[in-house]
Amino acid sequence: MSPLARLLTGRLVLGVITLAVVSVLIFLATEVLPGNAAYAVLGHNASPAEVHSLEIQLHLNRGILAQYGSWVSGLLSGNLGTSIANSSPVWGLVAPRLVNSAVLAITAGVIGSVIAVLLGVLVAARKDSRLDDAVSSLALAITALPEFVVAIALVILLSTVVWHILPGVSVLPPGTYAWSEPRLLVLPVAALVIIIVPYIFRMTRAAMIEALDSDFCEMARLKGVPPRRLLLVHALPNALPPIIQVIALTFLYLAGGIVIVENAFAYPGIGQGLVNAVSARDIPVIQFIVLALAAFYVVVNIVADVTVLLLSPHRRVAR
Amino acid sequence: MTHGDQISPGSKPADPSAELRGGFTRREVFRFAAAGTAVFAGVSSLAACGPGGTASTSASSAASARPKRGGVLRVGMTSGGSEDTLDALVWATNIDGLRVFQLYDSLTALDKNAQPQLSLAEEMTPNSDASEWTVRLRSGVTFHNGKPLTVDDVIYTYQLIANPKKPLTGSVLLAPVDVANIKKLDSLTLRIPCHAPYASFYESQACYQFFIVPVGYDSANPVGTGPFKYQSFTPGQQSTFVRNENYWRPGLPYVDSLVITDYADETSQINGLVSGQLDLIGALSGDSIPAVQSGGGNVLVENGGAFAPFTMRLDQPPFDDIRVRQAMRLVVDRQEMLQLVFGGHGLIGNDLFAPFDPSYNHSLPQRHADIEQARSLLKQAGHEKLTVSLTTADLAAGSIKAAQVFAQQASAAGMTVNLQQVPVSTLYGPNYLKWTFAQDVWTYYPYLPNAREALIKGAVFNECHVDYAPYTKLFNEVNATVDPSRRRALIHEMQQLEYEGSASGYIIPYFVPSIDGYSNRVHGLTSSKTSNPLGGFDLANVWLD
Repeated sequence: MSPLARLLTGRLVLGVITLAVVSVLIFLATEVLPGNAAYAVLGHNASPAEVHSLEIQLHLNRGILAQYGSWVSGLLSGNLGTSIANSSPVWGLVAPRLVNSAVLAITAGVIGSVIAVLLGVLVAARKDSRLDDAVSSLALAITALPEFVVAIALVILLSTVVWHILPGVSVLPPGTYAWSEPRLLVLPVAALVIIIVPYIFRMTRAAMIEALDSDFCEMARLKGVPPRRLLLVHALPNALPPIIQVIALTFLYLAGGIVIVENAFAYPGIGQGLVNAVSARDIPVIQFIVLALAAFYVVVNIVADVTVLLLSPHRRVAR
Repeated sequence: MTHGDQISPGSKPADPSAELRGGFTRREVFRFAAAGTAVFAGVSSLAACGPGGTASTSASSAASARPKRGGVLRVGMTSGGSEDTLDALVWATNIDGLRVFQLYDSLTALDKNAQPQLSLAEEMTPNSDASEWTVRLRSGVTFHNGKPLTVDDVIYTYQLIANPKKPLTGSVLLAPVDVANIKKLDSLTLRIPCHAPYASFYESQACYQFFIVPVGYDSANPVGTGPFKYQSFTPGQQSTFVRNENYWRPGLPYVDSLVITDYADETSQINGLVSGQLDLIGALSGDSIPAVQSGGGNVLVENGGAFAPFTMRLDQPPFDDIRVRQAMRLVVDRQEMLQLVFGGHGLIGNDLFAPFDPSYNHSLPQRHADIEQARSLLKQAGHEKLTVSLTTADLAAGSIKAAQVFAQQASAAGMTVNLQQVPVSTLYGPNYLKWTFAQDVWTYYPYLPNAREALIKGAVFNECHVDYAPYTKLFNEVNATVDPSRRRALIHEMQQLEYEGSASGYIIPYFVPSIDGYSNRVHGLTSSKTSNPLGGFDLANVWLD
């Protein structure tokens, strides 16, 4: 078996085990939450008799094991179950949110990565210049800002107080997707880009500086390779593995980190869906969203490892 | 035709002082404040006309303009989630209420002064001891699907609510009604017998749990008689309703369609309003007033009758001693609490609910903080250094702050109040109604329905575990009394018992104000005392420029 195939099979097996463990953990975690879906659905105006009758109707009086068992058997037969909170199918509830979150995360991730890598390469070539100082300090400052501060600052600047150019909230009508109203995407994407750029930028800069300081670049320089070619052809490919790792980490961060930005803009994504599901104690929906996020983590990790492997010739061959 | 037709039980104007402090005055103040800011901002361009003149013109032109038809009204509200429902009979949250009020009507409804008025009923008359009611429905009312409203729909609704296998929230206030033996006199007239005299049946039907649904009702197809018709709905996200062309209140509603969107928090609600994506937002906290105003929005503060009591269990120490309960009430500086929690908005409470009920006992003196008296009561009770634990949660605007203020104020009397903060879902979880000393929040109800749910032995929300025979006796007596002045006298006695602390474990220091924000396009939003936001959920009267 080639190292690539071995790595892939190993990771896939581990991934499936991870997901199974996660699904058990979520069930246990929802057990710890106070109250249950019946209380959440009926509100405190409901009489105890009313709550009890709904508990029976929703099968909440069964043990957690029985609930888990029926969920697993449903999943294996391709049925994600129905939401406890409003009895519509889980897939129909969650799919549009998954799409919206994916659009937001991928758009922000791609734009942010491109900007950050370009900026990193540019600055690395001018190490210790004034530009380097300015960009590096700014990046460091931004990493200290929590997501919601960035989001609120953008809203204040561009939609509510200083200028009224962009919508301050990104509420999509149900049944529509993010691309049908690109204006609504601008601020959430901008907020996420601002948050992720510093990390990728700092890693790119460091990796590039290290590559440029290395002997082979020194050699190339002595041979008279033009600076741009030195930067892009000699240094960058060697700096790529850590950059790819940090980009992968950024996408992983985005899978969870968009929750706060989605919340700040009331964007109908997976984060809002998860918050809703937790407050409604809607176990099937919680279960599916968390599993989808966990699966995303597993997949991104595998993709990153494979890419790094393909970029590192000495690790590609069997030893 | 107006909807103000009156009947016998209770429709005297509410307390005049409450009237004076009412929201409309407040609203005028805010309108002026907003207009004033505009004048100062544009002072150079308006130099020709006096600022006072400008302010009053803009305020009065808005008030006197003729309502316009048409437009899409966009409303943003918090409190929703994936459990949102359009079900007339099981709705739970503010945003549910907002939606349900647009789709359905009930036999009676609270008006802007929180007085019960006839709505789908045209006449409701009790017999001499209120053991039987005759109800005549308004004629010519149709449901959204074109079906005319008849007595069958009322009977069907009551059967749904009182279904012994699956009792709904309204079953408590419907318990005295003998649903099985309701008699149809004709297609619009009913004779409703009661198991026990039920003089408060009239006002109970205004308690938001009795929206009339058509025979065969299915909440997936939410058909009612209300001002707006269902078009689409996604729980936790958005609903779209359209104007009911055949609404029985002539000329209403004004807007063509109504989009109600779920917002996760106040900040995004305000951002939506200020950036022009929303016209109307509700259920804000006092802290949001400056943010709405500085963003060019308007604020309406509605001083409603929702109460957020501290609840002491009468059957548990130390509150089983009436002197301790009295001391607890005496440590509260109510004005200061209101100032700290709501910036001075809202009304002061006197440990009694239903302040706008025509029978409310205004002769009881307003209770003020009296630390000396509290100390001496505690000493007599043998609790000089009393330590209690108060369970608090973010139940309603200001709940936790109020708990903190209470703990602070109580320390002046040598008391130690330890705050035990829990999530809302814990407070309302399986231990709800069992906490020894906690907080709760109640929407505004007329007096007797509220007492039936809260203070009678066996009452469904008897969180203070009140079991006081003289009080229950008075309650039963007043329910067999149709003469308004006799009723008032009996209710005064009941409230005297609550005020003394023998029949109530409530500390009611204030009534929660309801704060709305609206854009300059919005007109016709008027304050309501019902404690429901957005003018008592009244969107039928709202119109747009």
